[in-house]
Amino acid sequence: MSDAAIKNVRADAPVGGSRIIEIEELNKWYGEFHVLRNINLSVNKGEVVVVIGPSGSGKSTLIRCINRLEEHQKGKITVDNIELTDDVRNIDKIRRETGMVFQSFNLFPHLSVMENVTLAPIRVRKMKKSEAEQKAMYYLEKVKIPEQAQKYPGQLSGGQQQRVAIARALTMEPKVMLFDEPTSALDPEVVGEVLEVMVNLAKEGMTMIVVTHEMGFAREVGDRVVFMDAGQVVEVGTPEHFFVNPQEERTKSFLSKIL
Amino acid sequence: MLQPALPPPIRETGFAFWLKRNLFSNWWNSLISLASLVIIVYTLISLLRWMVFEAHWEIVWQNLRLFATYRYPTELLWRPMSCVALILFLFGLSAGVGKGGIGQIVFKAFYWLMGFCLAITLISLFLFPSVRWLWLIAIIAGFAGYSLAKFWPNVAMYLSILWGLSWFVCLFLMLGFSGESGPMQYVSPGMWGGIQLTFFLSVTGIALAFPLGIALALGRQSKLPAIKYFCITYIEIIRGAPLITWLFTASLLLPLFLGGIRPEALIRAQVAIILFAAAYMAENVRGGLQAIPKGQREAAHALGLTPWDSMRLIVLPQALRAVIPAIVGLFIGLFKDTSLVTIVGLHDLFAVVLGVANQPEAKQIPGGIVRELFIVMSLFYWFFCYRMSVASKQLEKELGLGTR
Repeated sequence: MSDAAIKNVRADAPVGGSRIIEIEELNKWYGEFHVLRNINLSVNKGEVVVVIGPSGSGKSTLIRCINRLEEHQKGKITVDNIELTDDVRNIDKIRRETGMVFQSFNLFPHLSVMENVTLAPIRVRKMKKSEAEQKAMYYLEKVKIPEQAQKYPGQLSGGQQQRVAIARALTMEPKVMLFDEPTSALDPEVVGEVLEVMVNLAKEGMTMIVVTHEMGFAREVGDRVVFMDAGQVVEVGTPEHFFVNPQEERTKSFLSKIL
Repeated sequence: MLQPALPPPIRETGFAFWLKRNLFSNWWNSLISLASLVIIVYTLISLLRWMVFEAHWEIVWQNLRLFATYRYPTELLWRPMSCVALILFLFGLSAGVGKGGIGQIVFKAFYWLMGFCLAITLISLFLFPSVRWLWLIAIIAGFAGYSLAKFWPNVAMYLSILWGLSWFVCLFLMLGFSGESGPMQYVSPGMWGGIQLTFFLSVTGIALAFPLGIALALGRQSKLPAIKYFCITYIEIIRGAPLITWLFTASLLLPLFLGGIRPEALIRAQVAIILFAAAYMAENVRGGLQAIPKGQREAAHALGLTPWDSMRLIVLPQALRAVIPAIVGLFIGLFKDTSLVTIVGLHDLFAVVLGVANQPEAKQIPGGIVRELFIVMSLFYWFFCYRMSVASKQLEKELGLGTR
């Protein structure tokens, strides 16, 4: 696709809310490959934004740019009024305020569940061990696996591991949660338990950006759905808009394949 | 229609069946088995006859002190023996405070080492009056350490410091300070030797090559080109020549580089061993680092851990666990390779054994006593290498990524 074809659909958050994430004119290349093209996206506090699109469309890259797991080459990203620049202090600040959940869980296999969850609060937030463990138990109860605290990740099922990963991110008490296809690597029968945790989190008012193929989730708790293809935002709207009356041809054909 | 019950299957277990299936399954296999049996029995009988009636074990026996400490002054033997006592004491402490699987491994190693020392103590109680009290004290120190740890588990916090300090204490005890006489007179490293030197070189070598190797492996992955290329060059140059070359280099060329300053032969050899082992260690660790999925580092970064913390707490522990067999293999190699210091004039166990074999008394014996000496020496090396290998398997099982 040539650059002339770049549409510039803005995915702005509703006016009136307080902005927590602001992405302007974001561009990223992998060598010659233009993976993100002019992305404009903002998110209000407490909003749940669901990003959908075919694989290779740049949705994972987009959210990985927000906490600097990927570096962007052009444009501006601001999280909680901190601009993401090469300044390591800013990167550290932003990472402290954003939790991330990965497709492949990425729990630390050599540490117990409790150690996985308390590591960052102790090391990064300089919390006392006892305090961190108390907090960890609170969040492990929230994801409904307090009884697994002393086990190692390898002893848990995929669904349990992903819930531990969510608790690990939450124990840092971040302002934003980023979910990168959190259920894609799970057996179908355990997808539900992870989604349930995410739904509860959304209902409690957590700001979330969720890259997923779970349309049921998007419909139930999504405030806005962003459809991406070939590195750009193609269409933005409420879940109702998307599932009842999508406008773009590309969106229609994608939805017809997965619904 | 009911089928009649079948007879039970022919018994397929037991020694007789095993013999039949594996050794006597047909006439040809039976023939080979019988021939092998004859050869094995014949060899064993010859070996036993030699061991019992012909071998001159008394020469080995008479030279035990040389094997242990070479020319270390006899009246000062309490000094190296204090080092043994100190090490057994600390080992006892470590074994006593150990918890969980790792604690078990340390305890087993302690148990074996104490067994080895107890055997020597029993022998010296009856046969070597000059050192029997010293060995007895060393053994008691081991038990004392173990018991102390049971009463005072908090000592665990100080163990690494104590181990570090003990190295300096041992060095001080072995060297003494200047003076021609008296209990703390100076004993030059040229007088050290035997098992004492073998252990000194390998333990110091392992203890210093390990962190240096990790640093080199991390340096090799550094984003700063100066550090990265320094590490690559270092590793590739060191690995490009055999240890023996580096021992010679350290021995002959180092004084040239240092403008005529000539460090002790022991220091030169020790430095060569450390630098050599570190290069191999670095490559082992690098293998481990590359085996850790990228997601681990990403998760650590996403949580806000600093690059140093994510390396130290997340990547490195997993990387080291993944390469335990390779690392222990390297340590076993280093332990045996210390015998190469013979060629730069140091008297480790191997050199002492050669020396004893060339004594005039030994030469008078027809056929010499090289066989007896080498059998004993091999058993010594084998015992410690095998014990390290066992510990490696236990560690792997306890920490390996596979089981978790």
